[in-house]
Amino acid sequence: MAHDAHHAQAQQDHAGHADHAGHAHAHWDTSVWPFVISFGILFLALAFSFKFVYHNGFAAILSLGLGIPMILAGVAGWTSEAMGKGDGFSYSAMGWFILAEAMIFVSFFVGYWYTRLHADVWPPAGTITLPRVMPIVMTFVLVASSLTIHYAEHLLHLGNKAGFRFWYMLTIVLGATFLGMSVYEWSHLMHEGFTISTNAFSTIFFSVTGLHGSHVVVGLVIFLAGLPSVLRSDVDEGFMRTAGLYWHFVDIIWFFVVSQIYYW
Amino acid sequence: MRKFAHWFVHRFAHRSVHQIVAGVIGMVLPVMVSAASETVKINDPAAGWDKLWHNVIVDITIIGVLFALVTAWFIWTSRRRPGNEVGASVKLSPAGAVGWVVIPVFVFLSIDLYTAANGWVLWNHYRDVPVNRMEIKLESGMYSWDYTYPNGVRTQNELIVPAGTPIVLRMTSRDTLHSHYIPDFRVKEDSMPGRVTYLWFNPTKPGEHIVACAEYCGVSHGYMAGRVIVKAPDEYAAWMKGEETKLAATTETVPAAKSVKTNKPTTAAKKT
Amino acid sequence: MNLKEWIFTTDHKRVGVLYLIGSMAAFAVAGIMAMLMRIELSTIGPTITANPTQYNVWLYTHGAVMILGFQIPALTGFFANYCIPLMIGAKDVAFPRVNALSVWLFYVGVILALLTFFVPDPPDIMWTGYPPYSTITTGNTALYTFTVLILGFASIIGGVNFLTTVAYMRAPGVTLNKLNIFVWCTLGAFVLQLVFVPVLGTAVTLISMDKYLGTHFFDPANGGDVLTYQNLFWFYSHPAVYVIFLPFIGVVYEVIAAHGKNMVFNYKMVVYGGVGGIVALSGVVWVHHLYVSGMADWLRIGQMITTLMISIPVGLMMIGLIGTLYRSSIAFTTPMLYALGVVFLFLIGGLTGIPLALPALTIGVSDTYYVVGHFHYVMAVAGTFAIFAGVYHWFPKVTGKMYSEFWGKLGFWITFVGVNIVFWIMMDIGVKGMPRRYYDYPHFPQFEAAHQWMTVGAAILGVGFFIAVLNWIMGAKNGKPAGDNPWGSPSLEWSTVSPPPHGNWPTPPSVAEDWHPYGFRKD
Ligand code: HEA
Ligand code: HEA
Ligand code: CUA
Ligand SMILES: [Cu+2]
Repeated sequence: MAHDAHHAQAQQDHAGHADHAGHAHAHWDTSVWPFVISFGILFLALAFSFKFVYHNGFAAILSLGLGIPMILAGVAGWTSEAMGKGDGFSYSAMGWFILAEAMIFVSFFVGYWYTRLHADVWPPAGTITLPRVMPIVMTFVLVASSLTIHYAEHLLHLGNKAGFRFWYMLTIVLGATFLGMSVYEWSHLMHEGFTISTNAFSTIFFSVTGLHGSHVVVGLVIFLAGLPSVLRSDVDEGFMRTAGLYWHFVDIIWFFVVSQIYYW
Repeated sequence: MRKFAHWFVHRFAHRSVHQIVAGVIGMVLPVMVSAASETVKINDPAAGWDKLWHNVIVDITIIGVLFALVTAWFIWTSRRRPGNEVGASVKLSPAGAVGWVVIPVFVFLSIDLYTAANGWVLWNHYRDVPVNRMEIKLESGMYSWDYTYPNGVRTQNELIVPAGTPIVLRMTSRDTLHSHYIPDFRVKEDSMPGRVTYLWFNPTKPGEHIVACAEYCGVSHGYMAGRVIVKAPDEYAAWMKGEETKLAATTETVPAAKSVKTNKPTTAAKKT
Repeated sequence: MNLKEWIFTTDHKRVGVLYLIGSMAAFAVAGIMAMLMRIELSTIGPTITANPTQYNVWLYTHGAVMILGFQIPALTGFFANYCIPLMIGAKDVAFPRVNALSVWLFYVGVILALLTFFVPDPPDIMWTGYPPYSTITTGNTALYTFTVLILGFASIIGGVNFLTTVAYMRAPGVTLNKLNIFVWCTLGAFVLQLVFVPVLGTAVTLISMDKYLGTHFFDPANGGDVLTYQNLFWFYSHPAVYVIFLPFIGVVYEVIAAHGKNMVFNYKMVVYGGVGGIVALSGVVWVHHLYVSGMADWLRIGQMITTLMISIPVGLMMIGLIGTLYRSSIAFTTPMLYALGVVFLFLIGGLTGIPLALPALTIGVSDTYYVVGHFHYVMAVAGTFAIFAGVYHWFPKVTGKMYSEFWGKLGFWITFVGVNIVFWIMMDIGVKGMPRRYYDYPHFPQFEAAHQWMTVGAAILGVGFFIAVLNWIMGAKNGKPAGDNPWGSPSLEWSTVSPPPHGNWPTPPSVAEDWHPYGFRKD
């Protein structure tokens, strides 16, 4: 039968390109931005060591001064180079990435439970009563923003550009409101002397809410990065779905933060 | 909410899970456990260790040699010769394919469970401290082992014990992790700040044994050694008497109970 | 050759080669650290340094770089990058730029790890970085944290990339049951990376926060708990050993099938039982690294059983390998020698893990050279041999040239002798009581002779590895042209020219109905 089939097509194609490969100037794709971003990150790591290990503020600033522009330039360059040229894989890739992200939160929570369940007294000395109302309001705001972005996607799908734009911006406003409330609450607590280094609970409180907050920031940055094309009305649905997925994830995590950190 | 959580944790996480797990294991392996405990009659973990170690090494050697011999045989008979330029793999029937999963799984699983049963029995000997024990507190630090006897006598880097009495160490640390390792008694366990851990061993005859630190703890980790000195009971009594008199002579009060510094007493050392 | 097209490349093959160069450099550096340690240990008392911290820094670098800078990047960086798109008939990966980002982040991570030799107060916290020592040492713990974070992030984005690639970019006809075993193994490894690296990242971040930012995660005086770290760390670092094991056994499958020209034995058993079983179990055995750390008793006993059960899927993978040898047609080429070496030496390494799985026995040998011997047999010996087998196997594809079989085999046999001297003796003195991570051992004079033998063995095996690496360099420069498919393998990567052009195939390949990557026999 088709004995040689395993070498099949590919083998036959040989003749076609064997000489092609021999050309010295066969074209290879390149991009400088990944390189630039990577070394930008190197400088951030060095800055941390300069500041906190070797107490050399000047060198730290210098490193940051190199690293941050490199990263910003890298992200900008990358976005403009790649925007609209994707193969539509980003939605499912985002799913995998969220799995990894979720594990960061899981680690924090597990560390928290492990410490807490082994403690004889909890919360440890120095803990103050946390506000009870604020987190509920914040939950409403965040859930609302998840609904608005979902509705925006829906309208985009129907082709209602104007409606889409409105609900999209509303989402950004709600996200920013949430962030503002977080900042308010943090400063309020710190004012009362409850800081990240008060005790093990404050450590967990600030790092978990901070971690979640940083994800809100990243979500907003994604929305803002998409804003120009939203205003031009040429945003693609793939981008919206990917960004929306991330935002829902940030929302869901918040339920765990509220229930575990505030009300337990 | 908080009450419920507390109740839940105390009810399940601390007590019952232990019992449930133990119960399940006990149900799954009743035959093996009893078979194992007959063949491996151990009360002193050190002797039991030698025996079980030997058994397991023999087991894995047999498995390893079998696999290696089969491999070598296949390699030898399958070397490329004229006439067999490509392999002639067997085509498995669906039943064959399943069989090659199910049968090895059962064989391996039974070896595993048998090993686990033996290991479980010995483990219990390690954790169940005899009632006629002597309890000594140990605080480790960079870089010394500080022992406190029940009567308040203290020693450093030398644990002097009477032959014939099981010794249990209640351990904690004042700085980094350390691990009190007595190779001759086949026992070690980490000590750490904030928790109390324990180990026990059974010195039967007079002699000296090295204590080494087995958890990386800093620059002098390799030098953090001490000795267990086992004395005949009468010699021990004489030595202890001398120490007690010395202790009484010093004016300071005996800080016996306080020597183990922890704000979470006996978290990990609940058993016994 | 256009240097710019290499450094800024987004092509998966070139990214792969960059990974190979970086990880081999890391191997050389960490290997030299091992040699320095061996020389230091060859006599009691100071030998080449009178400063224990110096030794501890070598040991830290050796462990961290070998695992995070050499083996994981060589396996999930080089092999995955070079082979997966070619094996599934794709023109590249799903996100080529992300791929380039991942390799340069890897270089940044290695640079950070190697800064150890240039900064004041380098990290001396061992590759495990346990607090409280790591939070009170004067050494630079931040360097460790950032090394791990950056290498981890590089690995995560690599994982996202490859899972997407295999899901969507297979050539028509390359169905899931016709993926190379290596592809399946590597996918398993990437799933483990995605799930567990974030946990490690969290753990190492927390020690730097405790040390530099005043938090109290691991500080019992303020309600923290030191054991939290060890749980988080091993929750990743146990699966990490399967992140190494899975791809390396995948490489061994490829080599044994190709050089024995045989169908893989019971393919579905290997994929679903072996890879699937390992992935499923690897998250629930971490406590076997904490048997003497003061863990709750019920966890120790429960995970004794799960740890022992890991021998089942691993055993299935061994049966698959040995079954593939049965009635094959073995050519004793250099890659095949290394691969066969793995079969025997992994048996030693894996089986010596069995006594360690029992908490009762581990109480005697944990943190001794027995453990060091165990993991060098599985990683440093089986893992490195597999990597060398793979590099030799795909060498003609990557360079289009042939290495020297003579030097290849010579290197193999020298290394084979060396590793067994070093790592067998390690297990022996470990059982007799030699603790690990000792700069000096004045209290164990009885082991001095053994240490000297190990130093000699290390020198021998170093020569063997050196010959191998030299053989590649010489082969890449002046090897004879190898042809496109020197091993006569139907696996897709051999169906294009060597070295493959950008885009891999001029037109995307599609395969015939009865094609199979291991379909050597024509009937
Ligand atoms: C590639 C790396 C790799 C691999 C594959 C393994 C595989 C295994 N390891 Fe190992 N291990 C390490 C790398 C690895 N390990 C490292 C790096 C450390 C130390 C880290 C440190 O502290 O610095 C370590 C430490 C370590 C410990 C902790 C010791 C201690 O610190 O006290 C334990 C304990 O259980 C253990 C067990 C096992 C087991 C049971 C397996 C099993 O997966 C082995 C399974 C294989 C077989 C069993 C052989 C083949 C199977 C058969 C032939 C079937 C029939 C067999 C039976 C039924 C038994 N390992
Ligand atoms: C993959 C992992 C890996 C590998 C390959 C090795 C390889 C080796 N290891 Fe390693 N080792 C670890 C992982 C590994 N190790 C880990 C995780 C630890 C524990 C760390 C800790 O406790 O925290 C450890 C600890 C460890 C110890 C314990 C020290 C102690 O506890 O005090 C010792 C002691 O002898 C040792 C020795 C060796 C030796 C001799 C080799 C040799 O096989 C090395 C041989 C290699 C070379 C000599 C390089 C070859 C040369 C080239 C390739 C050059 C060519 C290059 C060019 C021309 C550019 N290792
Ligand atoms: Cu104390 Cu090591
Ligand atoms: Cu493990």
